[in-house]
Amino acid sequence: MRGLRTILLEFQQLSRQFEQGKSICVSGQLIDGTILAIRGVSGSGKSTLLKILARLLRPDSGEVFFMGKNWLTFPPQEWRTRVHYVAQKPVLFEGSVADNLCLPFSLKTIQQERSFNIEEANQFLERVLLPLSILSQPAQTLSGGEAARVSLVRALLLEPQVLLLDEPTAYLDSDSSKALMGLLCDWLREDSRGIIIVSHDPDDLEALPLQVHWLDLESELRHS
Amino acid sequence: MSGYIPISNFQLALSVILVLLTGLISVFLRLDLLKPLLWGTVRAFIQLTLIGYVLTYIFQVNRLWIIIPIILLMSFIASREATRRVRQVPFNPVWASFLSITASTFVVGSIVVVVIISPQPWYSAQVMIPIFGMILGNSMNAIALSLDRMYSEIHAHVDEVEQLLCFGASPWEAVVRYVQKAVSAGMMPTINSLMVVGLVSLPGMMTGQILAGMSPQLAVRYQFVVMIMVAASVAMGCLLIVTLSYKRMFTADEALVESLRKN
Repeated sequence: MRGLRTILLEFQQLSRQFEQGKSICVSGQLIDGTILAIRGVSGSGKSTLLKILARLLRPDSGEVFFMGKNWLTFPPQEWRTRVHYVAQKPVLFEGSVADNLCLPFSLKTIQQERSFNIEEANQFLERVLLPLSILSQPAQTLSGGEAARVSLVRALLLEPQVLLLDEPTAYLDSDSSKALMGLLCDWLREDSRGIIIVSHDPDDLEALPLQVHWLDLESELRHS
Repeated sequence: MSGYIPISNFQLALSVILVLLTGLISVFLRLDLLKPLLWGTVRAFIQLTLIGYVLTYIFQVNRLWIIIPIILLMSFIASREATRRVRQVPFNPVWASFLSITASTFVVGSIVVVVIISPQPWYSAQVMIPIFGMILGNSMNAIALSLDRMYSEIHAHVDEVEQLLCFGASPWEAVVRYVQKAVSAGMMPTINSLMVVGLVSLPGMMTGQILAGMSPQLAVRYQFVVMIMVAASVAMGCLLIVTLSYKRMFTADEALVESLRKN
């Protein structure tokens, strides 16, 4: 059991104008070992918020702190490996599934810190109900659900501290979805880890044996 | 055959008949090409006539302080042309293009003129201007192809680039596969022409020299030097333009600039 829960990620008055005069201005906290779930209607800026937190989009104003340190004190490459964004539509590259899982470990920043662990990859694949034979399969032949799970396994292998997940179960059937959420729960049990997730399915998240905090973006949405 | 065969004014006018014939066909097929064809013919005639007089003057004066500004002006015009039709560029690429074209042209052109051809004096306008002009023409096309390909590749692969950035990739690591394609695209016409030269076509410069009375063996030597120097300058120009341009696709925070993103 963890002792005192620390604030892993905190964003204050984070604002950005996006499509057609809409803007968001949100504040929130991600506590160590918990999930911060973001909900809101389509176009309320859920994905935009995740991309801002991944430093793929620049906010108009506001600040973000990671374990008390301002996010701008981290080099962008280091930030994105600590606070890792997984897009709703899985992005897989040419080559086999194994090639895709290894790809991040060929990058300079990652090479300096860790190397690809095939045993861990196998464990994760089994946990999300994917057969190990999938490793040799060309990534472009995977179904949407398979690709989404491979994409998540690849993210976990990078050992981030915060996962930014944009509807990770959107392409999954009920069993795969449960298996994936189960893996995420176990992953969260390690120290200094948290998940910010965009979800349309509150029941799925509420059923998890974890503390889930909600952030409703609809109420934070402004129209100009 | 010895010496060149002159073309009289009447013979020159006869060649225009071919353009008129093509124009008539375009009218018949409603291709709307008559006007641009005639305009192109008039422009080509005026430009070539003027440059004929200008070159005659420059060759007579033959001074470095005239030759260098003219080559720089040619480089600038080539840079503008190279970037004029490139779409989806998030910044004005004319200066990057000018730097790439000028640097590659001067490095390769100087080696060819001073070391290989060695005219007297070394800056002979009669050698420098045509040689540098040929390099510029080829570099211009290659740079236009490379730039266009690079930005269209990035536009088509925004998700992949952002995914690589999320893995912790540097901007270079995130775009290197698309940059490689861009350099290949820019160099492909030059490589193709190296492969088929003499088999499918005789290059313009060699044809011109043979028509002007030079022996084919000597014309071939010049042509070989020209093609090698064009390949070298094109490679250098393409590498320079992508190296100078790729960082401008990223913000200070190493994210793709807004205009390249889909949303």
